[in-house]
Amino acid sequence: MEKPTNVYATGFILGALAFAVRLYKISNPDEVVFDEVHFGKFAAYYILREYYFDVHPPLAKLLLGAAGWFVGFDGQFDFENIGDSYTEHHVPYIGMRVFPAVLGSLTIPLVFAIMRECGYPTLIAAFSASLVLFDNGHVTQVRLILLDAALVFFMTMSLYSYVRFRKLRYWEFTFEWWAWMIATGVSLACTLGCKMVGLLTFATIGTAVLVDLWNLLDIRKGLSLEHVAKHFFARALGLIVVPFFVYLSFFWIHFKILTHSGTGDSFMSPAFQETLQNNEMLLNSQEIRYYDTVTMRHKDSKVFLHSHPDRYPLRYDDGRISSQGQQVTGYPFNDTNNHWQIVPTKSLPPTGRGRVVRHKDVVQLLHINTDSYLLTHDVASPLMPTNQEFTTWAVNDTTRYDDTLFEINIIEAHDGEPWKTKSGHFRLVHVPTRVSMWTHSEALPDWAFKQQEINGNKNAQERTATWFVDEIINDETGADLRNRTGTVEPKPVKQLNFFRKFFELQMLMLQHNAGLTASHPYASGPINWPFLISGISFWTHNDTQRQIYMIGNVVGWWTCVMALSIYVGIISADLLARRRGVYPIPEPLRNRLWNSTGLFFAAWAYHYFPFFLMSRQLFLHHYLPAHLASALVAGGVFNFIVSETINYPISIPGPNTRLRPRTHAELGVRSFIAVGVFVATLIAMFLYLSPLTYGTPGLDGDQVNRRRLLSTWTLHFAGK
Amino acid sequence: MASLHGPSTFRPRQAYTADPISPPPEPAHGQPFPSSPGLAYRARPVGPRMSASRGKPHPPGGIKMQRGEWKLLLAVCAVAVGVRFYRLGWPDSVVFDEVHFGKFASKYIKSQYYVDVHPPLAKLLITLAAFVSGYDGNFDFKDIGKLYESVPYVAMRSLPATLGVLLVPVTYLTLRALDCRTDTALLGSLFITFENGLITQSRHILLDSPLIFFTALTTLFWTGFCNENRAAAFTEGWWVWLTCVGLSLGAVVSCKWVGLFTIATIGLCTIRQLWLLLGDTKVSIRLWIRHFLARALCLIVVPALFYMAMFELHFLILSNSGDGDGFMSAEFQHTLNGKKMQDTYADVGVGSKVVMRHWNTNGGYLHSHDHTYPGGSKQQQITLYPHMDTNNDWRILNATWDASSPGYDHETQPFRALLNGDMIRLEHIITSKKLHSHDIRPPVSEVDFQNEVSGYGFPGFSGDANDNWIVEIAEGDKRDRESTKRVRTLRTLFKLRHALTGCYLFSHKVKLPDWGYEQQEVTCNKNAVRANSLWFVEWNEHEKLPLTSPKVNYRKPGFISKFLELQKVMWTTNAGLTERHAFDSRPTSWPLLRRGINFWVKDHRQIYLLGNPVVWYLSTLAVVLYLSARGLLILRAKRGYKDFNNSGLVFYDNVCGFLVLGWALHYFPFYLMARQLFLHHYFPALWFAVLLTAAVYDLATARLKPRYRVQVALVLVGLAVWTYWHFNPLAYGGQWTKGKCESSKWLKTWDFSCGDFPQSVSDRSCPMGVADQKQYGDYVTGASAKPTPPRVTMVADAHQPGHIPQQNVAEPSAEQSATLATAESVGNVPQPGRDVFQDHPDVIQPLSASSSAKPEVGPQERPETSKAADPEEAAVEAATEAPPPLPANEPENSSPDADAETLD
Repeated sequence: MEKPTNVYATGFILGALAFAVRLYKISNPDEVVFDEVHFGKFAAYYILREYYFDVHPPLAKLLLGAAGWFVGFDGQFDFENIGDSYTEHHVPYIGMRVFPAVLGSLTIPLVFAIMRECGYPTLIAAFSASLVLFDNGHVTQVRLILLDAALVFFMTMSLYSYVRFRKLRYWEFTFEWWAWMIATGVSLACTLGCKMVGLLTFATIGTAVLVDLWNLLDIRKGLSLEHVAKHFFARALGLIVVPFFVYLSFFWIHFKILTHSGTGDSFMSPAFQETLQNNEMLLNSQEIRYYDTVTMRHKDSKVFLHSHPDRYPLRYDDGRISSQGQQVTGYPFNDTNNHWQIVPTKSLPPTGRGRVVRHKDVVQLLHINTDSYLLTHDVASPLMPTNQEFTTWAVNDTTRYDDTLFEINIIEAHDGEPWKTKSGHFRLVHVPTRVSMWTHSEALPDWAFKQQEINGNKNAQERTATWFVDEIINDETGADLRNRTGTVEPKPVKQLNFFRKFFELQMLMLQHNAGLTASHPYASGPINWPFLISGISFWTHNDTQRQIYMIGNVVGWWTCVMALSIYVGIISADLLARRRGVYPIPEPLRNRLWNSTGLFFAAWAYHYFPFFLMSRQLFLHHYLPAHLASALVAGGVFNFIVSETINYPISIPGPNTRLRPRTHAELGVRSFIAVGVFVATLIAMFLYLSPLTYGTPGLDGDQVNRRRLLSTWTLHFAGK
Repeated sequence: MASLHGPSTFRPRQAYTADPISPPPEPAHGQPFPSSPGLAYRARPVGPRMSASRGKPHPPGGIKMQRGEWKLLLAVCAVAVGVRFYRLGWPDSVVFDEVHFGKFASKYIKSQYYVDVHPPLAKLLITLAAFVSGYDGNFDFKDIGKLYESVPYVAMRSLPATLGVLLVPVTYLTLRALDCRTDTALLGSLFITFENGLITQSRHILLDSPLIFFTALTTLFWTGFCNENRAAAFTEGWWVWLTCVGLSLGAVVSCKWVGLFTIATIGLCTIRQLWLLLGDTKVSIRLWIRHFLARALCLIVVPALFYMAMFELHFLILSNSGDGDGFMSAEFQHTLNGKKMQDTYADVGVGSKVVMRHWNTNGGYLHSHDHTYPGGSKQQQITLYPHMDTNNDWRILNATWDASSPGYDHETQPFRALLNGDMIRLEHIITSKKLHSHDIRPPVSEVDFQNEVSGYGFPGFSGDANDNWIVEIAEGDKRDRESTKRVRTLRTLFKLRHALTGCYLFSHKVKLPDWGYEQQEVTCNKNAVRANSLWFVEWNEHEKLPLTSPKVNYRKPGFISKFLELQKVMWTTNAGLTERHAFDSRPTSWPLLRRGINFWVKDHRQIYLLGNPVVWYLSTLAVVLYLSARGLLILRAKRGYKDFNNSGLVFYDNVCGFLVLGWALHYFPFYLMARQLFLHHYFPALWFAVLLTAAVYDLATARLKPRYRVQVALVLVGLAVWTYWHFNPLAYGGQWTKGKCESSKWLKTWDFSCGDFPQSVSDRSCPMGVADQKQYGDYVTGASAKPTPPRVTMVADAHQPGHIPQQNVAEPSAEQSATLATAESVGNVPQPGRDVFQDHPDVIQPLSASSSAKPEVGPQERPETSKAADPEEAAVEAATEAPPPLPANEPENSSPDADAETLD
């Protein structure tokens, strides 16, 4: 069994099976499934080169885009809804699905190889690999245009490279040593490039490296400090610096491809938007001059700054009193009551650039229809006693002059920067009280026609107190505005430093990722995952009663959970026994259990427990990387149970290594039978659940009921 | 045996080295010799411990005090009393969260049930103080700044203040028990004495002072226990100390749940003790198990019992219905006076008039009223409504009625019980509509598998097939066999299946919008979660039932189930406190003291919670120093240096390690909390850090001559006292000037509002008490030139945006509205809720003329003051304010929303 030909043959068979299982009926269904809505769309955007925004890093989506481009997808399909037909719109979706399926299939031989490289017998390695191979969850996920196949593949690749690197520990600083280390680094970067979850893979490998370095530091190793430092810097280079640049390169390509304006524009800063072709800001941004009449909109809620002759009621329902001034509200529609004129507070030159409004200028805002100035004062606003009321003050009454002064505070502007429509996001800061004009989504009562409240926020730096000038209605002369700037030609696209773009996007991704807290019917908490308490309904077809329901192979997953708990049990028993001076486990076996299975266990823990801290939406498929790690643990534990012998040595002996006698693991016939029976059960369960995995054939009510192995699975078309 | 116990300098030195390099030493006596953090024996040439241990059966543990040291301790306590109690009666108005905790004291005294996120001990203590001094519970603690009237608030404040004072000797004794020197203990306790933040927090009716005190007390007892344990286990003293630790732990966690961190600290130390004990192969497993069980008994069982006892007390006191009812289940509410229900008939039959309640949510009763859905079928609304009301009454009708087969008629035929599988109709008695469902999406949950439920029909119309529901009994009561066979009031849980579509009558925690008065949505759900489709009959009448027929009532829940239910409610409420507060802060800012909390502003004075910067920064520095030193030592050990063979180092490492562990466990868990956090949450961690500062001082000056040591200590204490003095106006609400205040903003992020202070002291020096009157006079007449800085209203920041509006709803009393009317008729502006145009007195002058406005607006309702405070309770409160019970007919629907577009 352990002859190289046999090993390779086993690996090859597993790989072939993986391809067969994953590519089987890949064209089914010919409709948009689950998150293909998003990732298919992103692929289309790459092909159309339109800028979009997403919380995930670009690598996996770039690859999907590349696959789509390769099979001739023209990007002219918008993946709008789950269930939209591909064939009707002539989308070459099969090619786009094959790509992740191939990555998903390649993962299986990699799992096998990891186990082999760690010194487990072929049978054990095959056992681990089949846990992933015949897993309905993995199969469902990798057959579709989703990111997880790439994520899991690169994560496995990282583990594999690291194991290879570690095995070369007696050949430090050789070419191969460097090569495998850099390979680890690059794989890590690719993992991170698929999804932020890659950070957890970084943590796994990072911990292993730190433990390794810690042991090198030990005085009993006999290494000089310089030598340890050399090791340290080598790893810093290979596992931090290299991955960082690889990760950057993904974004560099991302920006290079997405050069046109698209759906993601509005997420970005004005400076960023002006680097995109055909962007509205680029096309319509104009400098504003004094005495221009403009409309202003709130950046987040898009309401116009509005006023009308109605007044605030003297007394609110809660007993507080208002100034009874004219109402100032936020109004979502175009209206002449949205027109405000910018009145200077300083003398202006008759013509020329001196009339342009600039950053930090103090102005008054005149409401055209009611001929009154915008004003705020220390009176509580209708809805929020903590914020100031906004109202207006008649133009000819100068008693409140000071309170009508506002400073234009353009965001991220340098001194003297001109104020522009569209792109000049600004805060309007009241000069005497330093509050910022702000609005929030709560509507005023009937007396203000349910319009939005405008008030003064005492936190002058409030991020959501951002406004922009929508358009210039007319200027004092009434001349054609366009001629003012002289040219109407399309402006050139601006350039922005790559790093500025990178950091801006990176921050936005993190913010939005944390903001994904809306509930989803198929979201589930991490505690449910290992036990498969609930799955995700990906797709349903009413007429034929077909459905895709993402759920793992119950036999496989519960075996993994058992293996994990057995592992914890063994480790604790070992610790306790040793504390009492008893040494129950032979040293070589114990080393294997702690170091190799320990690494897998750490990988599982790192890819699982952090999810408990995340408050964003979580889904079962977030557990797939952890499940793969738990399959590795299961192999290690199984090996520990059936055999007291191990393959030794594993690390490649160096020139100075003291060789101890070589040993081979011996597995009895019984373990072959055990694995055989187990894999047969696994396959049986896989086939039993496969209609839910492949979305075909359709099932009638009774059949669905029988497949509902746990009452918490929400399958469709269940019988009564 | 006794002679063996004379401690030698070698044995302990090794015993406490956890370094695996050195093998565990042999204890010189048969007793287990577990090390415990912070308790290493100190190799010192002459120590009080040695002399004291001689000539006794075993060396007693605990604290060794030198003769005369008590006097020193008393002196420190006297200083602490001076610092904490100085003008405790000022301000004579409500400060910060006194709004809540004062109110809770009132509720205890009046026995009105309330729900709060904190366990009861600290609040009970405050109530005790109030009760003893004769408080009658009739003050509402409504707003920050409201003037106290006939409230023994000084007595109530003196409870936290007393515990704040006691914290000082506890600090002293803990340091001594940790084997630190007298001067170290003195330094630590003086630091605590002059910590402005602790002072401010302990001077008001707040829970943190008890919490910190009990945290410290636990630490003291634990240290004492470890000392005892090191000497000999299972002696009488050993048990006493251990039990004290347990009781004190119970007290901490009964003050606030933050006390769990203290439990974690003690728990980790215990585990370490047991782990070391396990490694000692001389200790038999039997003995080890005895150790284990003793600790489990005293550190798990005792605190748990203590904690539960507090809740038992809580339930005993709060026997009447109050504003916390709405949080609790029907059974629970039924235990409260005023919510008790009369016995009702047990047998539900066709023709019964019933009130049905939803089982899984506290949404209340199946309800309908004379308003229609704005969308969907536009038929009458069906909701869940939490209060008793005649609109909750339904009549069960037989649905087999059919022209051809008349079936059962309850009016003419004898009583027939409602059985499983019966097809019924439910008629809403007041509006004569039938409970109806059809294939239209519900108003809020617009999903395919849910249908709208409405009221449909008119008097005389017998209904259509969509009114038919099938009763499915889901669960009966185990003690009432009959309840599984037929529907029995309060005993049977049943589902109602819609006969035509097969969906189940369903409700969930989704509120209808304004048009549904924010009552809970009721739908018919095809994929219903079982728990949310269960209903039961709470009230039942039937004309045909004889008066003697069996009656039932709610079963009284036992203490355990009440206790568990309340824990759950507290947990969900606590987790829901995620709204931002103007003065909240994240844990990262605490060790650097980046921001305080505005407690109270009035009359050009303010109270602002801010620590003593010297003490605070020294403590943070101590933590950083220890951690980096320890890191360096670990690295050195790895490279073969034998630092840990030095017994002095090991001693300090143990003491500091224990204190840093306490600090870390009281600090880092806050990072995991999403709820709003405040600076005062750092105080327990600060206490550990201050102790650590003292220990670091002890280490740093260990080799100095006593004279120099004292000098160093004097300089440190002097600095602390000076900063204390510098910032005392913020702590005591004393006089300050704008200039001094501005120059005291050592960090830009300290946001006490200097604008509130006058330019010079003489400007505004009014004796307290009279001040209000004078100020008010100034305000009203507008006579004062312009001393009022423009932003007096900064206090408003302390208020939770959003919840204020609710506070005053439904308030306008007849008197007030009368005033309002008169004021308006005269053309005057009534007293503003805030100072409108205060900068422009000319605009608002008429106010003083309107004498009618005056009596209503006492000085306490000065503009700056307003509702505020710790949002924790605020949220509870907001939630407690149950919607005013709607009368049988809800107020007319508000006039249709004005169409904004047309009006503009």
